[in-house]
Amino acid sequence: MNPLRLYLRLVGISMQARLQYRADFFTGAFSVIAMNVMSLALIGILVYRFEALNGWNIWQLFFLYCLWLLGHCIYSLFFWHFWDLEEDLIRGTFDQFLLRPASVFIQYIGREVQYIGFADMLVAIAGLALSYVKLGLHWSPSLWFFLPVIVLSGTMIEMTLNLMVACISFWTGRSSIALDMIMEFNVIVQHYPVDIFGTWFRVVVTGLIPVAFMNYYPALLLLGKIDKAAVPWLGYISPIVALLLVGLTTIVWHYAMRRYSSSGG
Amino acid sequence: MKIFWAFIRQAFQFASVYRFNFFVEIFLTFVRMYSIYWVWRILYTQKPGAFGVDMKQMITYGVLGVAMQIFMWSRVQWYIANQVKSGAIDTDLMKPLDFHIHMLARSIGETVIGSALALPALIVAFVFLGVSLPANIGTAVAFFISIMLGFMVIFHLNFILGMLAVFTLDIRHISWAYMSIIRFFGGQWVPLWLFPPALVVIANFLPFQSTFAIPMSIYIGKIAGADVIKALGIQFSWMVALALGSRIFWTWAHRRLVVQGG
Repeated sequence: MNPLRLYLRLVGISMQARLQYRADFFTGAFSVIAMNVMSLALIGILVYRFEALNGWNIWQLFFLYCLWLLGHCIYSLFFWHFWDLEEDLIRGTFDQFLLRPASVFIQYIGREVQYIGFADMLVAIAGLALSYVKLGLHWSPSLWFFLPVIVLSGTMIEMTLNLMVACISFWTGRSSIALDMIMEFNVIVQHYPVDIFGTWFRVVVTGLIPVAFMNYYPALLLLGKIDKAAVPWLGYISPIVALLLVGLTTIVWHYAMRRYSSSGG
Repeated sequence: MKIFWAFIRQAFQFASVYRFNFFVEIFLTFVRMYSIYWVWRILYTQKPGAFGVDMKQMITYGVLGVAMQIFMWSRVQWYIANQVKSGAIDTDLMKPLDFHIHMLARSIGETVIGSALALPALIVAFVFLGVSLPANIGTAVAFFISIMLGFMVIFHLNFILGMLAVFTLDIRHISWAYMSIIRFFGGQWVPLWLFPPALVVIANFLPFQSTFAIPMSIYIGKIAGADVIKALGIQFSWMVALALGSRIFWTWAHRRLVVQGG
């Protein structure tokens, strides 16, 4: 079976497993929507008092938040189980992937789906549509074409960063705290435009943990604020950043597999 | 008292296993403080004096809000939910220790360890972010009392949340919504006095302002003079009400409890 078909098959199976728990889906979706509404409301209250945050008005901030969320929700739909990698390694359940005659990587990433991501997607699309209208944006066809590319790049950036960091547990046995760290930077970048922070923070989220490419730089382009960037091409390179990270992750995964020794679960 | 001490020691031993995590947590707490610092700094440069408190006070409020996140770390709700789910709760019920007190001791233990994480980050913030100390000894004492009461309020809220697991088995999703409501109406990030009037009315009827908003407002001097006594009174009343409420709830839940497998 070719890798893509295998992956889709695995995702299909995981989806069916999830659909066993309908009530869980509704309470989960409700909670996720409530969380997002609370976060947006806090941003709203702040900006309502101050009118803008460093030149970003309320709808632009919502746009920034929702652009991140749209990339993130695809990540959370398909890859949320990276958080459990350390548990798999400690318990030895990771062995099951090595015993089957198929790519370990495909088997691992197709292991689970998290339907909660759908609720995030709902919020993100509604938020983006609303801010598009409220801001009176008129994108050219090329920008419209670029939007899905940005969103998927965002997904890939988050996915690769998290997978690489989760792979730390092949060496140390623990990775959740490092994943927390990535999440922390993600959350900050989701909520606030990077230009309000000091230099070192901007360098970190651009170069070291490049989460700013999930929403901030492309948003500058989409909102016509690209003059705020140090150099204008930063708005376009999210897909390139994503591809570089994919390459890096392949290498890390390769070494992690060589390093793996079962705990004998 | 010995019981509380035992749980603090246990929590410390648990935390010391993961020393690396400890340092990363301190770092992350500081990063969070740093981001809040910049938000207020930018907002104040834009529109100075829009809020009744000066920039230094507001930054102190924000940084303190991050430090007090340790309140959220008490995991009694997860502990109860896990014990109910796995059936291991029967071992807790067999202990010659009141369940309510047991959970309180556990929660205090975790929070003391949490404070050990928050303090270094707070000290760094004092040095680099220009956070101020309480104006005088009286304020410091009032803050100290208020933070204790705030802890008791949030502990009982967590305790009640955990007991819901007796009925629903899983509290994961409920607790997401619960935490964001506490953050919002607790004024952990954006202080309540900036809220639109209608929301302030709602917040005043809820127990959540007793958790973060009151201690932090006392610290920066937003609540001062006779208002301090009134604010502490609100916290105290909520503590008593929630302690009684959770006691009654527990008695009832205990009777409804079904131990699976065990």
